[in-house]
Amino acid sequence: MSLIASGRTQTITDIEAETVLNDAPPKKTPSKTRVPGRTRFEPFTVVSYVCVSVFGLFCLIPLWMILAGSFTDESVLAANGYSFWPAPFSLAAYQLLFTGQSLINGYIASLFITVVGTALSLSCTASLAWVIARRLPRISRPLTIFAYIPMLFTGGLVPLYLLVTQVLNLSNSWFSVILPVMLAPFLIFVAVSFFRQLPEEILDSARIDGAGELRVFFQIVIPLSKPILAVLGLFYAVTYWNEWFMALLFISDPDKFPLQLILQNLISNVTNAATLPGASASQAAAPVYQLRFAMTVMTIAPILFAYPFAQRFFVKGLTLGATKG
Amino acid sequence: MQRGTAVADAGPADVMASRPAPHATRTARRRKPTSRGTLGLLLLALPGVIWFLVFAYGPMAGLVVAFKDFNVSDGIFGSPWNGLQNFAYFFSSGDAPRIVINTIFLNALFLAASLGAGLLLALMLNEIKGHFTRRFGQSIIFFPYFVSPIVISIILQAVLAGVGGRGGMVNNVLNVFDLPQVNWYTEPGAWPWILTIVKVWQLGGYTSVIFLAAITSIPEEVYEAAAIDGASRARMARSVTTPLLLPTLGILIVLGVGRIFFGDFATIYAIVGDNGTLFPTTDVIDTYVFRSLRTVGDFGTTAAIGLFQSVVGFVFVSVAVLVQRRVDKESSIL
Repeated sequence: MSLIASGRTQTITDIEAETVLNDAPPKKTPSKTRVPGRTRFEPFTVVSYVCVSVFGLFCLIPLWMILAGSFTDESVLAANGYSFWPAPFSLAAYQLLFTGQSLINGYIASLFITVVGTALSLSCTASLAWVIARRLPRISRPLTIFAYIPMLFTGGLVPLYLLVTQVLNLSNSWFSVILPVMLAPFLIFVAVSFFRQLPEEILDSARIDGAGELRVFFQIVIPLSKPILAVLGLFYAVTYWNEWFMALLFISDPDKFPLQLILQNLISNVTNAATLPGASASQAAAPVYQLRFAMTVMTIAPILFAYPFAQRFFVKGLTLGATKG
Repeated sequence: MQRGTAVADAGPADVMASRPAPHATRTARRRKPTSRGTLGLLLLALPGVIWFLVFAYGPMAGLVVAFKDFNVSDGIFGSPWNGLQNFAYFFSSGDAPRIVINTIFLNALFLAASLGAGLLLALMLNEIKGHFTRRFGQSIIFFPYFVSPIVISIILQAVLAGVGGRGGMVNNVLNVFDLPQVNWYTEPGAWPWILTIVKVWQLGGYTSVIFLAAITSIPEEVYEAAAIDGASRARMARSVTTPLLLPTLGILIVLGVGRIFFGDFATIYAIVGDNGTLFPTTDVIDTYVFRSLRTVGDFGTTAAIGLFQSVVGFVFVSVAVLVQRRVDKESSIL
């Protein structure tokens, strides 16, 4: 217990140090009249605000366009292909989506791939990374090279395709989407470098108390590594949620399509209303374009909702390396 | 290869891996486990090792298909050998120069544009006062990184094509200025630039976060000294921050060049798909491989192209790693 507490205090001091750093500029504001570099309205600062705002809009407008489009009546979309304001307002596409089975199937598939995939990825990444980080003689070093070589050389698409379809017979199984992308060597090494920074004293004290290697890993290392596990888990989860290529290769049964693949079918089969989700009832009147936007909204909605809470982990994961240097 | 952003993904890890780790715990770590403990640790590593054997090294062994006249009934190892015929077929088809040039040209363009935009954005974000405002801006420009290629493709169609080639946002804007309408999806010349804009949209914020992290590690005293010397904020960005970011930039360039032979399959295929009109400028090795696998189903030739790509890519990556090691030693100031 005390071990975890000490770990936590460390994080808190880190955060405090960070806030102090970030609060530093405002504290210096009294002296800004004397130091020219600190004045707020320098041309470059103004230009920066403008440029960042413009780029921010550039990033947001496409997303707004999709959201607005998904609530806009098909008549407007069919003339322009887009809309910035949902007028005339229409829920037709969402009604279609929620009455059909396709969206639910898509969500089930995507959720299965994301949840099971992330769990598998995370457990394998953490355990392999710990063995590498443990610096065992004659084991850790070869394992490092073993995990590093695939970053340099890959077998390519054809052997992978043959492996999954001919050898493992995973066609039309969700595992054919999960397994090929399950481990990212890059993220393993991120975990290794985090594990190597864990305070050795804590691990030693556990060993002196008689904890075995596995117990040290599960009861000390894992709890102390929650921040990095959150980062890795999020990166894996986004990869799985957005994974579409593996599904395109290996899944041909429409009932098992994950959301991304359903979306892709909406692009390629835009004229073929019969293949649209939930369109069976009123094929002629199916709001094709609106449906596309609505489906897109449903696909990015989970990321959009999770993003405000998760984005600091992403930033942290990215900056983990750069700032430590 | 399925990870579209592998180029950038490799960035921070290698930046980090190349930094010396804190030495405090290094010697203490050598504590030897008991033999039973070692067994436990081996068990721990086992699932990961099996995965690597099956999904990373298995396909490498499967590359023998490139030297075979593959047929499904005989399988990978039973099919008859046919020497270098598959390679000869690919190189005599006339597609080879086009897709190799496209791959290198497009990736170089993407790399330059996303790094340039990321660097500029980081310098500008650094000007933004207030912790919350900066965080907010950073979050917004970072978001496109999480948008899937398929969604990007849908956005792009709404922006460029509208319905059946008429309409679309860009054309409506052109209309306002009385400029002629363009049917973008039949204009191969425009696509390298369109894809570059997409890449900047997708990776600009992501890259800027990496640079911004490097900026925060620059000591405040440097700026104070610059301020005493009367430097403006613009001058500081140009003469203090930028030079200090060069090592980070160098590493990202080297890593990007190392990945230059691997096209960004997901984004390009999701956007261009099977639109043959655009192939002259957008067809890269990965999309070519995928298409010939799907349409022709010739495993041997396709594997040969894949092997060619892997080997040339390996040369690029290895050189990049070696260069990065050297560069990083020299730039240990940061």
